[in-house]
Formats: sequence, C-alpha cells, structure tokens
Amino acid sequence: MRRSRIFLSVFCLLSFLSLLPLSSVQAETKQRYKRTVEQYAIPDVVLINQDGAKVKLKKLLQLDKPVMLDFIYGTCTTICPVLSAGYSNLQKKLGPAAQNVQLVSISIDPEHDTPEVMREYLKRYRAKPGWDFLTGTREDIDRVMRAFDAYVPNKMAHYPLTLLRFPGNDAWVRIYGLIGTGELMEEYQKGLSK
Amino acid sequence: MIRIPASLQRCIMLLPVVIALWTTAAEAGDLIAGFSRDEALRLGERMYREGILPSGEPMQAVVEGDIPVEGTMFTCVSCHLRSGLGSNEGTVFTPPTNGAALYKPLPRGQGVIGAPKEQLPKEYSGGDIRPAYTDTSLAMALLAGVDPEGRKLNDIMPRYMLSERDMEIMVFYLKNLSAEFSPGVTDTTLRFATVITDEVPQKDREAMLAPLTAYFRDRTSQSRHQEKRAKHGGPFLEEMYSSYRKIALSTWELKGAPETWQSQLEAYYKKEPVFALAGGITTLGWDPIHRFCEQQKIPCIFPITDYPVITETDWYTLYFSKGLYQEGEAVARYLRSLADLPADVPVIQVFRNTREGMVLSRAFRETRRKLGLPLPEDRALSPGETATTEFWSKLADTYPAAILVVWLSPKDLDTIAALAKSPHKPKMVFMAASLLDTALSAVPERIRPFTYIAYPYRLPRDKHRSRLVIENWLRIKKIPVTNFAIQSRMYFVGWMISEALMMMQSDFYRDYFLDVIDMANDQTYSIAVYPRVSFGPGQRYAAKGCYIVQLTSGPTPELIQKSDWVIH
Repeated sequence: MRRSRIFLSVFCLLSFLSLLPLSSVQAETKQRYKRTVEQYAIPDVVLINQDGAKVKLKKLLQLDKPVMLDFIYGTCTTICPVLSAGYSNLQKKLGPAAQNVQLVSISIDPEHDTPEVMREYLKRYRAKPGWDFLTGTREDIDRVMRAFDAYVPNKMAHYPLTLLRFPGNDAWVRIYGLIGTGELMEEYQKGLSK
Repeated sequence: MIRIPASLQRCIMLLPVVIALWTTAAEAGDLIAGFSRDEALRLGERMYREGILPSGEPMQAVVEGDIPVEGTMFTCVSCHLRSGLGSNEGTVFTPPTNGAALYKPLPRGQGVIGAPKEQLPKEYSGGDIRPAYTDTSLAMALLAGVDPEGRKLNDIMPRYMLSERDMEIMVFYLKNLSAEFSPGVTDTTLRFATVITDEVPQKDREAMLAPLTAYFRDRTSQSRHQEKRAKHGGPFLEEMYSSYRKIALSTWELKGAPETWQSQLEAYYKKEPVFALAGGITTLGWDPIHRFCEQQKIPCIFPITDYPVITETDWYTLYFSKGLYQEGEAVARYLRSLADLPADVPVIQVFRNTREGMVLSRAFRETRRKLGLPLPEDRALSPGETATTEFWSKLADTYPAAILVVWLSPKDLDTIAALAKSPHKPKMVFMAASLLDTALSAVPERIRPFTYIAYPYRLPRDKHRSRLVIENWLRIKKIPVTNFAIQSRMYFVGWMISEALMMMQSDFYRDYFLDVIDMANDQTYSIAVYPRVSFGPGQRYAAKGCYIVQLTSGPTPELIQKSDWVIH
C-alpha cells in the first residue's frame, strides 16, 4: 500500500497546484531572459552545413526573412538540448509558416560536429527544412563567436543565447537566457510587426 | 509560483484513473512495479539513458514552461550524466541525482564543502538547501518540478509525464544509481592497472611504463602532505583532502594469442579489482581489452594502440584517436572537400591484407560510403606479390588520371616512381604517414608533386612549448627520452587522472570518472603529439583531426600543410 500513499500524495499536491488561479500565476512570472538590441558585423566565412555543403554565412544570415541564430554543440549536456527543443517546438508551432523563418545553429565544437553528427542531431530534434546546423574550422567558428559577442574559450563555458534578425533591419535582438516557446513567439511577432 | 503547462495538467487529470488501476494490483513482494529488481533496473536505465519508457514509447516531458520534449531528444542522462552525479556547464549547475545524494539532506555548501555541518562557518551552517527526498517528493520533483519543500526547480529541469508504474521504476533506478563506490576503491587507495602485451618491443614498453609509474609514485609520495592537511586543515581543507586517496598502479602483462587475453584479464581482475585501466600498450588490436572493459564496466583511458575499436556506442574505453583508421577517414574527407574534383574520377586503393592495410582500406571505404560517395576499387597485393615498375605502370594505364590511395609501407614503394613516367599518371596519390613511419623520404621526389599524405600529428613546424615542459618533466624524473610520442602521451594520462580526481572529490564511481573527463576542457597545452584533444559525453576519440600534407623536395623533406586539422 506504500505505493498508493505515494501517488495519492503526489496527486493531491498536483491537483492543488493546478487549481491556482491562472492570473495570479502569470502575474508573478518574471521575464526570465535579458533582451537587448545589437549591431554585429557578420564575418565573411564559409561554413559547412549538415549536408556537407559549403554555406556563406553572411548570405545565409542576411536572407530576406526572419533569421534566428544560436550556438550549440552535439554532445552538450544542458543548454543546447533545451535551445534545440525550443527551435523544434517553434517550427511545430509555426506550422507551414516555419518555412518563412531561417533557423541557424552554429557548432562550438567543430572538432566533433561533422556534417554526419549534425544531421543525426537535427533528425533527433525532428528539424524541418529551414533549420541549418553549421560547422567549420576552429578559426572560423571563433571568428563567428567573437563577431556576435558570444566567444567562449571553451565549449563548457558557453551560455544560452538566441539572436533574431528581421528583414529590412540590420539590428539583432539578443536574448540571453533560456526561454519558452511562448516567449520566443512573442519576440518573433514583435520583430515582424516592426 | 508554479506554472502548470496544459499538457501536464492533462496528465494530472489522468492520475486518479492511474491510481485506481494501480491500487487494484496485488502486492507483489520484492517486485518493483511488477518487475524483478534486475528487470526494473534495466527498464529504469533505459528511461534514464535513452528516454524510452518500458512500453517502448519515448518519455514525454515539458521544459521551460511550454516546450514539449521527447525522451529521444534528451533525457535525464543528458544533464545528470551517466553516473547521476550531475554536471556544471556554462550557466547551469545540475545537482546530483544518484541514490546516495537524493535521500539525504543537501547541506548548504554541498559539493564545495562536505564537512559536518557543525564544523562549518556560520554562512554555511544554516539550514540545508533542501531536506532529503522521499519516494513521494522525488516523484513530485519529476512530475511537477518542485523540491521536498515545495519550491520550484529551475525550468530547465523537465517535468516528466510518467505513469505510476514508470515512476516507481524510475525512482527505484535513481535510488540505486551510483549508490556504492565502485570496485578498486578502499579508504586509502584507488587502484589502477596498465595492460602490456608481450609482443611490444622492450623499449616501447619502457617508454610507456616509466612516465606512468613516475606519475603514480609522485602522486602517492605524500610530498604535499595531503593526509596531514586533511587532519588539521579545518572544514574546507578537510573536504578537499579527505577525498585524497593514494593511487596504485598494477601492471597486467598479457601473454600469447589475443584470444587468450580475456581469460588472463579476468584472472588479474579477480585477484585484484581495479578502479580503472590507465595507459597500456599493444602493437596488436585493442579489441579483447576493449570488450573486457565493456563487460566489466571498467574505464580504460588512453591506451597506446594503432588499432582501437571503432564504435559510436561503447562507453568504457577512451582512446587518443582512431589510430590508423583516422588516416583512412581523413583521406576520404579531404577528397570530398575538393570542389573541383570530377564526381566520376576513378578511385583505386592499393594495400596488402595486413592488419594495417585492412584497417586503412576499411576506414577509407566506410567513410566514402558514409559520405555518400562511390566506393573505391580495391587492389589488394597478394602475400608473395611485389609492387614492380610494371605493376605501377599498368595501374596508371588501366585507370588514367585516377585517385590512387596507396596504403603501403616504404618497402613496397621502391618502384612507385614509375607512376610519374606514365602518360596516364594519377591525378593524386595518397599515403598514410603512420605506414611511412619516419621515412618520409621514401616517397620518391618525382611523385611528390601529386602525392598527399595523411598526417595525424601536430606538425613539426608547430614546435609547441608543451614539448619543452614534458621534456623537462622527463628529465626531472630521470627518464631518458627514448620515444617521445609514447612518453608524452603517458604524461598526458597522468595529467588527466589528476584533473579527474580533483573534480571527483569523494565520489569514487567509475562512471563519474568518465563523466568528469567528458566534461574536461579541450587540451592544447598538456598534449604534445596532437594540436588539440577534446572531450564530451560519448566522445571516445580525443584527437579528432588529421592533416593532409605534401612534401618538399630533397632528402629531408618538410611538410606542406594542405588541409585543416579537422576536415569536414
């Protein structure tokens, strides 16, 4: 009967929590990330995508559609899985409109993240077309990280960062911190409406 | 305030049904959710490591408030790591979730200071960070993301939608995860072994053993008075130094055929269990030792071998590189990177059916297949066959302007210059530096303009200061430099053991030993042979690159770098 008691306790507590007024919950929800608007000079580098194709970064990031950029690596233990689940869910939420947004993930572990590793990674996160994972030489990756003020000397010291750019605007919205899909959608809609 | 996502609320709505069904189930003695203990542990491990429920379906969870996640994307092991001891990456500290830590209070300063609370300074001796989990509160943490005091856990912690049966299995698994120290650990000593096979030349055996022995001897010499510090150092130092263990190194010598190694290893292990294997050397394949370590779940770090096991799933052996395989792989990748190479250019690989020839040709072939490129045509020399002038001329005539991949050693290259004379000479010739050994001059001058070599080491021109540091260290230890490539790698083994033990503190679990190495920073300073070694969960080949070089003319050719260290 011990198991019954455990689950009854869990059930009662969860039921109580679920009955809390939604408004009071939302009222106390703080913005969990830091948002700034920045200007970056995109370096003129050629990276490699998950299909082994060469990609001119500048061209990709200056497409005439919204672009989101993050820095991740395939065997990351904490931040990257959440960022990537966020990308995945965003594509899902956008539905057919997902093709109107270019998602870009840049590897900060280029030694390990080969096109095959990246392709497998995207498959795991059910990535749809429009989400590219890029790798390159250590030097080029370092240049890109520095250009976006995201440089870390070692991948274990990295931090959650999502950058958004919208057509007709060279400024980037810089989001420091992990955010939910609702918050990311808000930022996306806000950027589109400007 | 806790945000309950809609998906989780739906899960909560179903709980009464689940509980009703569950309460009708008969009590089943020692069974866990109806499974034997071993089966429950296996199922729990699958949830923890692979995110797969006992039903075979992926686990479902929510992170960051509203992001649904399937267990196959990421699961417990992604952050809490295989040992359950947690990780500390970037801005996120993931606390331990192993049985030994969950079911006792988490004192303030835990992980930094493990001394008794009464001995701690005031700022650390206040209340605990959290009380001990119970089965119920642990289930709450997994379902709703709240700790035993009802405080919300970080949103990065997934809220898992688990049925009561699956929850019981998961709780049981966590309770048993890293619950007891691994074999090979006593109150005073951490025991390692190094494996040497009997065909290894004496000088190479010494080159491997001398630096490793010196490292173990020094660390255990008490020159830093660790035991004294632990006794008199106060709470902060006590934690640091009470985790101190002497480290001991046994030498396991394997004799005879590789088929007999497994039983020899088992006999050694039965006589004297070890925590991990360190270093080691063979000129043959490492396979039997690799398999033994997988079976016994013994970490084996950085053996010297040209023939590691190439696997993407095995866990316990961490190699310096893929050995010869890496050179075959690099040539295939380099060819793929050449934009102006016609897709239909014939690719021929010439090799002998020796161990090295087989590994290199397999690596090249497998990588071509993986990259979606046409497979090469194989030309294997039979045992008595000599690569004569006619052989090379005929090869060039049969495959005009081909890519020729030559996995042969210098003794088979006497006549290869005939290629240069052919009107159909190859477009490019590739070779492996490991087969040429130090005899780069064995590559005839006439074919050097179109010959490329896979070179899996730091370039000679890149005289790194780490070489001086290691040479000085060897001199201080009175070890003559006889084979720097081997000796410097054993210096690195000592370096990594020190790093790992410092990170582990008192958590002497084998899986954690590998977890902390996986979390190590990339190394460029402590390793002299490679430009860079890097780590990560599941990454089992630390040096991941291989240059493609050409040779200058002259009797002592220099290397001309033609590729980056890592070729994508």
